[in-house]
Amino acid sequence: MTQEKMVDREPRLLVEGEAPPKLEREFTIIGKDINRLEGPDKATGAAKYSGDIKLPGMLYAKILRSPHAHARITRLDTSRAEKLPGVRAIISKNNCPGWNTFWYTIPQTAFAEEIGCYGQEVAVVAADTIEIAQQALELIEVDYEVLPAVFDTEEAMKPGAPIVPSIDQVEETVSRAPHARPVGNVFEGKPFVMKRGDIEAGFMEADVTVEGKFTTNFQFHAALQTRSCVASWDGQKLTVYDSSQGIWQVKDDLSRSLKIPIENVRIIDKFMGGGFGSKAGAQRFLHYASRLSMLTARPVRLELTRPEEFLAHPHRQSSKSWIKIGATRDGKFVAIQARIVLNLGIGSTYGAQGDKAIEHSFELYDCPNAYVEQVGVHTNTPLTGYMRSVMRVIGNFPLESLIEELAAKLSMDPAELRLKNYTIYGEQAEKIKYSAKNLDRCIAKVVEASDWKKKREEYARFNAQAEASSNSIRKGIGMSSYIYEGVGLPPFRAKARVTVDGEGRATVYCGMVDIGGGQATMATMLVAEELGLELDDVKVHWGDTDQTEYSPGTHASRMTAEMAPAILQAAYNARKQVFELASKKLGVAASELQSALGKIYLKSRPEIFTTFKQVCREFLLPEGKVVEGKGSRVANPKDVAFKTFGTQVAEIEIDTDTGAVRVVRITSAHELGRALNPKFCISQHYGAITMGLGFAMYENPSIDSKTGIILNPDLHQYRMVSPSEVPEIVPFNIEAEDPYFAYSAKGVGEAPLVPVAAAVRNAIFFATGAKIYSAPMTPDRIIEALEHVEESRKMELSVKQVVV
Amino acid sequence: MMKPEAVSGSREVTIDAKINGSSVHVIVPSKFTLAELLREKLDLTGTKLGCNRAECGVCTVLLDGTPVFSCTVLAAEVNGRKVETVEGMLQGERLHPLQQAFVKEDALQCGFCTPGLLMTLEALTNKVERPTLQQVKDAIAGNYCRCGAYPNIFKAALEAAQAR
Repeated sequence: MTQEKMVDREPRLLVEGEAPPKLEREFTIIGKDINRLEGPDKATGAAKYSGDIKLPGMLYAKILRSPHAHARITRLDTSRAEKLPGVRAIISKNNCPGWNTFWYTIPQTAFAEEIGCYGQEVAVVAADTIEIAQQALELIEVDYEVLPAVFDTEEAMKPGAPIVPSIDQVEETVSRAPHARPVGNVFEGKPFVMKRGDIEAGFMEADVTVEGKFTTNFQFHAALQTRSCVASWDGQKLTVYDSSQGIWQVKDDLSRSLKIPIENVRIIDKFMGGGFGSKAGAQRFLHYASRLSMLTARPVRLELTRPEEFLAHPHRQSSKSWIKIGATRDGKFVAIQARIVLNLGIGSTYGAQGDKAIEHSFELYDCPNAYVEQVGVHTNTPLTGYMRSVMRVIGNFPLESLIEELAAKLSMDPAELRLKNYTIYGEQAEKIKYSAKNLDRCIAKVVEASDWKKKREEYARFNAQAEASSNSIRKGIGMSSYIYEGVGLPPFRAKARVTVDGEGRATVYCGMVDIGGGQATMATMLVAEELGLELDDVKVHWGDTDQTEYSPGTHASRMTAEMAPAILQAAYNARKQVFELASKKLGVAASELQSALGKIYLKSRPEIFTTFKQVCREFLLPEGKVVEGKGSRVANPKDVAFKTFGTQVAEIEIDTDTGAVRVVRITSAHELGRALNPKFCISQHYGAITMGLGFAMYENPSIDSKTGIILNPDLHQYRMVSPSEVPEIVPFNIEAEDPYFAYSAKGVGEAPLVPVAAAVRNAIFFATGAKIYSAPMTPDRIIEALEHVEESRKMELSVKQVVV
Repeated sequence: MMKPEAVSGSREVTIDAKINGSSVHVIVPSKFTLAELLREKLDLTGTKLGCNRAECGVCTVLLDGTPVFSCTVLAAEVNGRKVETVEGMLQGERLHPLQQAFVKEDALQCGFCTPGLLMTLEALTNKVERPTLQQVKDAIAGNYCRCGAYPNIFKAALEAAQAR
């Protein structure tokens, strides 16, 4: 069922101009568990994050935020605050009319006259000390005309609902994304629909159907470093020490917003304390700090407090879904229908456009008839945006939960049911194949590693015995498969530069941010391998827009897919030039040469060799020359489908008296092409699964239904997974060649988050028959679902009794 | 606690303490937390702030060998006492076994929780020679790692304990 084994395919790297050919030798560095090069800096406290930066004359800024979810500002008087000694500047709608912040080129109203959510920015003060700035906030006088607000998507869609003033300004947009204004509160005024075949006819063919209404709550990133920057304007150049996930987007957006020539904006971001999507693109606070610096001609630090971080970062949308699957008796899917409604808050930074939530229902399984729609609805709640695995976790939870309900109805092994409906096509109607798809190997791996078949029998036996002996514990095992990206996204721009100096040492210049995934180390490994150097002879210049060119942000699992090919090409171009010099030295054609670990040798007779050091000292050092190679990514072709895949198995124990669930083990297999550094990839399984477990069980934002106030904006009440809740995690990197990517390598940073909730839900369903339709699956919801099972059982019993 | 000397006529206090083995004599606002004393006054920015309200564990340092949240200890409280931060862990030029293990086992990703974790684990391994996995988990129950490096953190902690 796998696509034909792809062995030794010629690379088809997506780069501009000549692509590096196959390496034609074993890897010497790639595939090894190299330590993070910046690990010691982080472990010794030497690493400086943006909040650690102090500049002379630095001012401190604080944001005044709206206490109302929906209101019009009728009076805004900053004069008393301005008079407070130590206050240097205040910005608000009074002195910044029509000003837009930018997020990935999407303009957003900086200071709105009509406030759309609790916590929205009203004014920002810069002062000599943080205390003075805080005092100044209290002296700013604001009169609000409080307006009716709406927090629920269904309410927001009703005629006559209050209209949410979305901050996304689309008339001005120069974005590549086809944004459109909300109509009423609905994004684009209509659902985004994808369809195939005839859905009604499909359901008529079905022998069996399952359906359900599911909800998922918002999720907060809660990165441990709150967003923090120091913006410094010197009269001509703006330098920002930032905590973002992408510096080139920040450079671009600040230039646009503040009308500074782009070459005069420098963003520095070598270490940042977690992003998970919330710090992708230029965050609003960066614009405020920069503008204040320009007004005062002093550096300005703006750092969000923890409660502010909860309020003001673009968190994951909440959702309400309805999904229905129809299958014939043998388990073949004949119809899949889905409607997913997303709560976008006052802005979603990329809208609800695109198929991200409904992708699972449309693409994961072979099904001739499908009709899926996604609706984005604005409400008076804070900004939403990217969060690790974006909307795919929203689409996976209901679909994969229903798959196992269907398997139970059909008395089929859920793994078999998934394999029975396997497709090699990314576009089923157009029959466009994936560049690579090995989901079946992922399923086989977790089935084997978790001892799936035996455990299902063993746990069923245990549960029967437990029931008979009035033991309240049940054991369960459940699976979830997923589809994800990690293959690159528009605009597919990534540029890299590699130099080799007179000592035979290389430097790779890459405008990317290392957000903790090991991106900087990955760059040195790629260059060392492709050039043929020892790892110690390769340095990387990263986290700075000076001396680098455009890099995508480190999010959407896109860095490996987009930047790695550019790095590889840059290294190859540098290598070609060094080989020309080596060919002179050895008296052979450059095409006959190969390199590895610092040696340059004849392919046919490796005992004839020279070294990088010798060649460079001879030809480059005397005149202080340097060899330079460049690389540039181009777009993914449209006639091939690109995705990554994976599967997880969750094992749980549940106490049916209390509803307490202990997640015992999660076995995870993710198809990522090649693990450039297996250790780093395993770390991403751990991280994504941990966050997915939080989504599944614990993280429950609570928004007051009357005022729109977030009731748990702190790390005590917003319960993330701590060392006490971490289950045993058994991760596998599934490798399979994909010629379009650097050494076949694709992304893994987000995908393992996607299936956790459904896998755990399915394990609970296996253990108890309880069907949970809401994430997070908090104890109260579990109890309710267990009571439902009790009631159904009682009803069945009473029916049986009547019949008898 | 040795009551610090108030600076007459101001809202400041004089602190005399041992920080990472060195004697320190500073004057800070009396409302300063230990975290502010370290980060703002002494430029020891290795200790991070994640919430400033004792909920995340990121700011953990050792006070007389005991892990504390430096964001909710007043600077005044450390007068006459011993404070250890991540900057004091280096053994000359060499990484402390815990630091080495963290790097080797990839027990850090973004690194923001790392200093606080290292401090907590140092206190544990000073007290318990061969901690069990459960003891490690219990010791760091108050240290969040949002990147989710927990399995590697456990592994590094147990490995470093073995190495001592």
